[in-house]
Amino acid sequence: MSEDETALSEREEIEMLLPWYVGGSLDATDRDRVERYLAHHPEVRRQLELIREERHETILANEALPTPSALALERLMAALPERRRGLLGRLLASEGYRAIAELLTPPTPRAVRYGAYAAACLLLVQSLAITALLVEGNGGGYQTAAGKDGGEGLSFFVGFTDTASTADLTRLLQEFDARIVDGPKPGGIYQVKVRISDRSPVAADALQRRLAARRDVVRLVLPAKE
Amino acid sequence: MRDVDPGGGAMNEKAHDAQLMARIAAQDQAALRGLYARHQARVFRFLLRLVRQEAIAEELTNEVFLEAWRNAGTFEGKASTAAWLLSIAHHRAVSALRRRREESWNEEEAAEIADAKDSPEVELQKTDKAAILRRCLEQLSPEHREVIDLVYYHEMSIGAVSSIVGIPESTVKTRMFYARKRMSELLKSAGVDRGWP
Repeated sequence: MSEDETALSEREEIEMLLPWYVGGSLDATDRDRVERYLAHHPEVRRQLELIREERHETILANEALPTPSALALERLMAALPERRRGLLGRLLASEGYRAIAELLTPPTPRAVRYGAYAAACLLLVQSLAITALLVEGNGGGYQTAAGKDGGEGLSFFVGFTDTASTADLTRLLQEFDARIVDGPKPGGIYQVKVRISDRSPVAADALQRRLAARRDVVRLVLPAKE
Repeated sequence: MRDVDPGGGAMNEKAHDAQLMARIAAQDQAALRGLYARHQARVFRFLLRLVRQEAIAEELTNEVFLEAWRNAGTFEGKASTAAWLLSIAHHRAVSALRRRREESWNEEEAAEIADAKDSPEVELQKTDKAAILRRCLEQLSPEHREVIDLVYYHEMSIGAVSSIVGIPESTVKTRMFYARKRMSELLKSAGVDRGWP
């Protein structure tokens, strides 16, 4: 019988599913089908033992194999082509992003942890500097966003979480009808412009709160002075 | 080879892989190192079982991760990251084997190669049932050995094997069936009758 021959007995069809049944990766429909058949044909249960035996020896044979040499990874990294990074690429690959990600992913080498603390301090200093700029400008009010790109809207300094994926950022920008207009700045901060017609302080405050509420993607949001 | 914990841990592992893939798509080299650390043993062993030479398996492993680096942006997350990497590995191995022409996808030739490696030590091992079974696994054709490894060691579902090897799900099931059947025949020839098929 060839591999693709489809005229199979019910028993053969069930026997074909048994390796996945033993491994626990059958979908619910096939699993129920196998269990119903086994309940009425206990002699087929003998197959399960054979499969467990094969599985055990296959695992042992594979586990006995070596892993790549220590130099293989370095050769891989050396072979990476240099490519121009996009805006999000620079954000996600930035030193600040990596340092914070490492801080939150134990175990962390001590040296990296110190680097993460330094990045966090840099972020704090930058946040204070941005706040100071805002306070010393027009009574601390919000600056409308007819900024350097000439568009309508409100601008914010936004820091993204280390767990945010590219897809998360894209969705957030679409949801808020926003775009990144500058950055990354030290600490992995970006300037984001939100297209909105109402640029009153009340609307800006509400918008900032909405952005800040997206804690899965946004770790920091401050109004930007242009 | 389970790189995920059963139950709740699996989702965390999947999410961790998804994060690494997103960061690799953004050209984050640290994320590539992370992905390599998590999957290099799986990919290397899968390749080594097919090409049988460590130097070639290592070279192909690096090619797999280089391709992951280049194409991470196209990874849609429908298959697991492990299945995606093994799919790349499968195609690399098939190309390498075709280039080398040292090992065809022919069962009889594979068995001959394995038989040619017999040594006094191997002869002694023939008395141990487990060793005989492992030896029969080695004698399977690369095609059959691959599906056995994917199902038993890499714990891939029927759908995942289908996407890795590039064959219909019905063929995955029959290929596995005939791989097991062939193994039983080899065992019988070696004096172990399992009573199946």
